Amino acid sequence: MARSARALLTTIGLAALAFLLSSCDVGGLSPIFPDPVSPNGKGIYDTYVGISVVAIIVFIGVEAALLWVVLRYRRSRQPAGYMPPQVHGHTGLEIGWTIAPLIIVLAIAGYSFVELQKDFQPISNQEMTVKVSGHQFGWDYDYLNGVVVHQEGSLAAEVTPFVVPTNTLVKLQFDANDVIHSWWVPAISGKTDAVPGYDNFSWLKIDKPGKWRGECAELCGSGHAQMQIIVQAMDKSDFEAWMAKQKATTASSSPSPS
Amino acid sequence: MATTVLPRPKQYDDTFFKPISIWLTTTDHKLIGIMYMVTSIISFVIGGIFALIIRLQLSQPNLKLVDAETYNQLISAHGVTMIFFFVTIFVTGIANYMVPLMIGARDMAFPRVNLLGFWLIPVAIILYYCGFFTGGSLNAGWTGYTPLTEKAFNHQTFGVDFWALSIIVWAISGIMASTNFLTTIVALRAPGMRFSRLPLFVWAQISTSILLLIVGAPLAAAMILLEFDRQLGTQFFTTQGRPVLYQHLFWFFGHPEVYVMILPAFGLISEIVPVFARKPIFGYMSMVAALFGIVFLSMTVWAHHMFTVGMNTYVEGFFMLMTMLIAVPTGIKFFNWIATAWWGSVEFTVPMKFVFGFLATFLIGGITGIYLASVPVDTQLHQSYFVVAHLHYVLFGGSVFAILAGIYYWFPKITGRLLNRTLGEWNFWTVFVGFNGTFLIMHTLGLEGMPRRIWTYANPAWATTNVIITISSFLIAFSILVLLINVVHSWGHGEIAGNDPWRGNTLEWATTSPPPPYNFERVPPVRSFMPVRDLRESGELIEAEPVLTPT
Ligand code: HEM
Ligand SMILES: [Cu+2]
Ligand SMILES: [Cu+2]
Repeated sequence: MARSARALLTTIGLAALAFLLSSCDVGGLSPIFPDPVSPNGKGIYDTYVGISVVAIIVFIGVEAALLWVVLRYRRSRQPAGYMPPQVHGHTGLEIGWTIAPLIIVLAIAGYSFVELQKDFQPISNQEMTVKVSGHQFGWDYDYLNGVVVHQEGSLAAEVTPFVVPTNTLVKLQFDANDVIHSWWVPAISGKTDAVPGYDNFSWLKIDKPGKWRGECAELCGSGHAQMQIIVQAMDKSDFEAWMAKQKATTASSSPSPS
Repeated sequence: MATTVLPRPKQYDDTFFKPISIWLTTTDHKLIGIMYMVTSIISFVIGGIFALIIRLQLSQPNLKLVDAETYNQLISAHGVTMIFFFVTIFVTGIANYMVPLMIGARDMAFPRVNLLGFWLIPVAIILYYCGFFTGGSLNAGWTGYTPLTEKAFNHQTFGVDFWALSIIVWAISGIMASTNFLTTIVALRAPGMRFSRLPLFVWAQISTSILLLIVGAPLAAAMILLEFDRQLGTQFFTTQGRPVLYQHLFWFFGHPEVYVMILPAFGLISEIVPVFARKPIFGYMSMVAALFGIVFLSMTVWAHHMFTVGMNTYVEGFFMLMTMLIAVPTGIKFFNWIATAWWGSVEFTVPMKFVFGFLATFLIGGITGIYLASVPVDTQLHQSYFVVAHLHYVLFGGSVFAILAGIYYWFPKITGRLLNRTLGEWNFWTVFVGFNGTFLIMHTLGLEGMPRRIWTYANPAWATTNVIITISSFLIAFSILVLLINVVHSWGHGEIAGNDPWRGNTLEWATTSPPPPYNFERVPPVRSFMPVRDLRESGELIEAEPVLTPT
């Protein structure tokens, strides 16, 4: 077998190895998002899986065709003096591979649009609203009842968690004080930019207690990497207790200028 | 193929080391093309060194090889250098060299504008790098989003100002080059070279030039407004103004710019596949139509970079649909390339290997592009390492692999000598493995929540992946070193190529290697879009022209 064909097989072997590795639980190598804990994150997750089904078929089909050309139509595999047919095109085929991708992308676009309408429209039936504002370099979460959680960015230690009750539809309203930031907790949902002077929103409804990590996703200056995010979901009763405690501390420290 | 080696006439000065006065004053499109290409390769090396420093810094969590501010300058310089000073400049250079030859012209339509357009590029590069020597260069990524680049948040250095000036100069140069290409192709075609017989590389250059002509001005406008804000105190993009307006202006240029970098690559692939498969290109007309489909669509998709700023969902849906529709013309081109090679007698020379490397990897970039176009999915993937992986699959696996194919394919025409094949094989296999090792697993980092443009990270789960990426990136560096050694060595000592080492189809193969100052002793007749093949088959090809003397 030709040297390059052998090298090709090696590459395929390596790719297969990479795929195997990715299917076990090696850190940082999972081919999909973390398990979603909020319905909008779940919707995105499902859309991703749906697109992947088509994408994997197209990928395998086209790469197989390329491989077939490499293996079957290489000059060394053709009879000596082989003169290829001098085809200039084929209207039927060309129309075929115009229509086929068109149908595929229209299907994917339609499918994505349904999810877009379902989970990305403004909501008004929220049970709670929190104003999230980004600044260089941290996040403030204003519960609109006098309680504000300051989540100052840090790489060295865990940042103060943003606490929400479980199974509660929380509307997040975004704003920024200086430059653009972007709030991203992959297990919950996608990103929402916090743009100064510009209203933006998102929501979450977390189905179990726990802690989830995220980071600021829009370069906002030298402290960008430290703008870590932790969201902590608590059962409603635990949340009430936590909120009461926050109110007490806020009240006791209120005389000092904020 | 036995070629007669005759001494080359004195007036054909082929040495690279010509007096500087010649380089400064020449209006020969070939020398200008070489200057473009050499400039761009220097940029590639510099941008690559930045990439290696970036990768070292990210190889483990909590490293402090460089600090955050330096890191931000490095990624900005890496992105700007690779996009504005390497890929775009290289494709302009190779088109400068090849387009007049391929259409049977003696030079570009405006030779002196051509020279001025080229010299603006070193000016732009030096302006950008001035930032490094005046306290700090651009530190906001190659996109330079406001308000981070506004005076209020970025007043310590002049980095942003130098970048804005550099980009304005660059845009003017690009507009000059585009005008020149279009005029040349319309006005200077050889007798018989009808539009329906133009090589696809030339068609690609027409579409690229139209695109750059349209989007170059808005880019310059965005930079000028930004400078007004910074220096004259206006409020276009400040927190009192509309920071998001900047994003619209920038991406109205920025998205088409990726097509400015990929359409010439498409042109190259369309030239190389037929030659080594020994078949005519499949579907010439649909290839041309697809180019213009892409030109049109690429100007209607810019806001797909802004799906998280909070637009109306119907507006988002529109940009999603238009973006996905680009898969249709791209698919046509892809399938036509495969069909061209199908049933062929495919010779896997080094350029053809890079073509297949291009096809195999660009496909991945195209598919991940569909994920990114889907608004809901994009809100997860946007600004993460998934995007970094995607953009390198299209820019590196796409444009750069095609550029490498083009270097191996046209080096013999430009220098008269072939690149060394063994080194070429090493170059291909190491860059193919190194590239995929670096960028394939970056997708998963993004899925797991690693944002792009972070100078370091605390999450230990990302460490293994990052160290594999860093090791692979050094394999790429090794590969590029092999390429450079090959180029330098073969320029002086390579095997003599002869006029037409690959049995090509297009007019550049009908003249000597390298071509004389006026390109053709006699412009050959053009009877189809494969004129040189026609001549070869009718026995009219003159092989006896003088070729390079071995030294
Ligand atoms: C040795 C090869 C290369 C390596 C290892 C490499 C690595 C990287 C990395 C790690 C980043 C992300 C930095 C960050 O977000 O913090 C990046 C960004 C980028 N790279 Fe590369 N790269 C390479 C070659 C290229 C080439 C050939 C191009 C273009 C033709 C390119 C264009 C870009 C662009 C446009 C960005 C975005 C910069 C930004 O965020 O503003 N890179 N590269
Ligand atoms: Cu940030
Ligand atoms: Cu785009």
